[in-house]
Amino acid sequence: MPQNETIQDLGLDEYKYDFVTETEPVFRAEKGLSEEVVRQISAHKEEPEWMLEYRLKALDVYNSKPMPKWGGDLSSLEAVLDEIYFYVRPQDQMERSWDDVPDEIKNTFEKLGIPEAERKILAGVGAQYESEMVYHSLREEWAAQGVIFDSIEDGLKNHPELFREHFGTIIPMHDNKFAAMNAAVWSGGSFVYIPKGVSLDTPLQAYFRVNQERMGQFERTLIIIDEGAQAHYIEGCTAPVYTTESFHSGVIEIVVKKNARFRYTTIQNWSNNMYNLVTQRSMVHENATMEWLDGNLGSKLTMKYPSCYLIGEGAHGEIMSIAYSGDGQHQDTGGKVVHVAPHTTSSITSKSISKGTGRSTYRGLCKVHKGARHARSNVECDALLINDTSRTDTYPYIEIEENDASVGHEASVSKIGEEQLFYLASRGIAKDEAMAMIVRGFIEPIAKQLPLEYAVELNRLIEMEMEGSVG
Amino acid sequence: MEGVTSALNPAAVERIGMSEPEWLRERRAHAWDVYERTPMPTIRLEEWRYTNLKKKLDLDSLQLSDAEAMSDDASTWPERLRAAMDEDRAASGHIVIIDGHVVHADVDKQLAAQGVILESLQEAITNHEELVRDHLATDAVPAEEGKFAALNAALWSDGIFLYVPKGVQLELPVRVTCWLSEAGTAYFSRVLIVAEAQSQVSYVDEVLSDDFESQTYTSTAVELIARDGARVQYVAVQRLGRGTFYQSIQRTLAQRDSKLDTLNVALGASVTRVDLNARLLGPGANSDMLGLYFGDDDQHFDFNTSQDHVAEHTSSDLLYKGALDGASRAAFRGIIRVLPGAQGTDAYQTNRNLLLSPESRADSLPNLEIEADDVKCSHGATVGQLDDEAKFYLMSRGLSLIQAERLVVLGFLGEVLAKLPLGGVVDKVTRVIEQKLAQHG
Repeated sequence: MPQNETIQDLGLDEYKYDFVTETEPVFRAEKGLSEEVVRQISAHKEEPEWMLEYRLKALDVYNSKPMPKWGGDLSSLEAVLDEIYFYVRPQDQMERSWDDVPDEIKNTFEKLGIPEAERKILAGVGAQYESEMVYHSLREEWAAQGVIFDSIEDGLKNHPELFREHFGTIIPMHDNKFAAMNAAVWSGGSFVYIPKGVSLDTPLQAYFRVNQERMGQFERTLIIIDEGAQAHYIEGCTAPVYTTESFHSGVIEIVVKKNARFRYTTIQNWSNNMYNLVTQRSMVHENATMEWLDGNLGSKLTMKYPSCYLIGEGAHGEIMSIAYSGDGQHQDTGGKVVHVAPHTTSSITSKSISKGTGRSTYRGLCKVHKGARHARSNVECDALLINDTSRTDTYPYIEIEENDASVGHEASVSKIGEEQLFYLASRGIAKDEAMAMIVRGFIEPIAKQLPLEYAVELNRLIEMEMEGSVG
Repeated sequence: MEGVTSALNPAAVERIGMSEPEWLRERRAHAWDVYERTPMPTIRLEEWRYTNLKKKLDLDSLQLSDAEAMSDDASTWPERLRAAMDEDRAASGHIVIIDGHVVHADVDKQLAAQGVILESLQEAITNHEELVRDHLATDAVPAEEGKFAALNAALWSDGIFLYVPKGVQLELPVRVTCWLSEAGTAYFSRVLIVAEAQSQVSYVDEVLSDDFESQTYTSTAVELIARDGARVQYVAVQRLGRGTFYQSIQRTLAQRDSKLDTLNVALGASVTRVDLNARLLGPGANSDMLGLYFGDDDQHFDFNTSQDHVAEHTSSDLLYKGALDGASRAAFRGIIRVLPGAQGTDAYQTNRNLLLSPESRADSLPNLEIEADDVKCSHGATVGQLDDEAKFYLMSRGLSLIQAERLVVLGFLGEVLAKLPLGGVVDKVTRVIEQKLAQHG
């Protein structure tokens, strides 16, 4: 079968998450950000007084901070934010059984393949629709061992001490303008606790869906991996394509305690009208390992730099990043590793593909603080340019305050070589297919780390995008 | 000049330009205007992230030099200046600058007959007014370049003009030796080199001083223009004493098939700040950009480089390497920009740092901005310590630890010098590094 037909059969010639579900929210705050909206969010969640105060304080911080002047083009963002609904409550309560989720919402997630995924081998599944988690479930066997996998709201309600001990400590509200915004209006997200020594052998998975037009989603996730524990958390994000812009600003806080191991995988496939400004940070303790696997395929503009603060001796941080920027997209992504303790190690591997008028920017930091003796870090960035209108940038910051550190950074930019295409053509491989093959080879070192269904999805996307890219 | 204030102010701009042609006085006044309008850079600016001018430079405390020009009699010149000149006399021409005044200029008679011009900028304004007017602070380093380019364009007292006519090739380098002696003084000078089509020239600039008790500031604006097929090598060796803030703002304009290479060697001064912008303007243009620094005590180095690929099929290759001892610190910020349409670009950028003591520090920021797709670009940066294996190997051959360390450092830095082996420079720089290394241990 000719390849083009195959692609059409798969329905991949368009953004496949572009469908809208007719749902009537039970509550929707006025558009724009105000104290009133913040109070409404807090009231709907029946929060303790301290959280309302925290939110209001964060709103002040947000208002006092200027828009960032670096990164992507945020010049029209303020106008966009005035038109956005910061809080949309899709239903009154979160369901534990898939059968109880309202049909319309269920249909949405069925189309995204969630129950199917759950039927496979996941340890737990969560789903957020607009501003709230609509569904959360965790396998019995893990619940019995003390694992907590819940909405962030239930985390606050049911585990107030654990929550308060960590919430806002890894990413304080003053960290940046959008962290402050999230602290003011956060809603939804996961609360995860893996007890000492417990190893989850399958991943926890969370789905984030924005359905309504002009919607702002502000999930907040807090993950605590206790000593010696192991887990893998996957998040996926999609939204329909609207002509107006939407906005997503998450804050993800992670603690990986002594000897623990944790991987956080993101497959961001927001529609191309989404501003995606996310703060993700982990504190990595003694001999613990933190891995970020960050895939950014969608959105209009993403600014996201997952970070590892290596605060315990022997801690290890790893960031693997794939970015794809098509027409009109700007992926401003990368990673930060901050070495604070001795004998800490880290690596960042970034691969980006820019096509059409797409722009991929790697922005990263490798910092070795005084006292982080014998730190080792390696950063590698490779960029592939498909067209003469594509753009790529690399901005790695390297700041070293210890002389026995060993730090290296390498970056390269290239286009697909005529010789490579010629060689494959001589083997009877069509140009589109050859392009896709080369791109797949380019991202393979990171793609192979992805869960299987995402790796398949990524490969399909590349085939689809490479079609007709040879000019 | 008795009774005349020598602070950095509009009166000084007028006084310096007093006997100059109208166009130049206007340029100075305009430059002062730009200077006043431009805010002082702070560490909030990416370009100044690693050098806090509030702490490092006090312009208000500085005076302009009011020294009389010394005579063109070598026996009256400072001992160290003469020693530096004697180390490598062979040259196509010499310039000697003492405290901002060009006190000596000579150029090979045959070359002069072929139209080569090597003279002080002040003389060139009289003798070659049109050439100077066309190029001085216009295309390469105009006042608009920034706060310090403007300050220099307003207050420069003298400098060097080198003009090489079409097809003329200089076998030996032009040698410039510069000496500063007044503490608390601000010096402003310029270098303007125009190499016409198919010409060839090397230029070696060495600046020296003793240590200063109070801060002394020297600012140079370097404008290098290589026309089609010209080959230009520019070398700046900075051996200033402690207490000096050395600033050099350099721009190279490389036309079609030209080769315009630079080497910045920074060994002295308390603060070194070099801004180097290489512009590749014609197809086939190429620039090698080399840098070498060795710091000890509390020396501070800040290199801010950019490689602008404007035309198709241009190439550039940057290599900056440094060793840092004591509590010295280096920052490197470099950017490769490939502009839309600059297809067929090859651009490379490497910064390597060797930290020799626990108190030393290095920051590196190698950037890429690529807006064309048919390019080969890469950059790399490393920060590390001496290679244990290399040391061990040398010690197994009977060298002491200190000897082995010195040899490894020399080998590390020697890579840069080997790429631009101009007569005299390699030996001279190696000697100074050896002297510095002798204090390490």
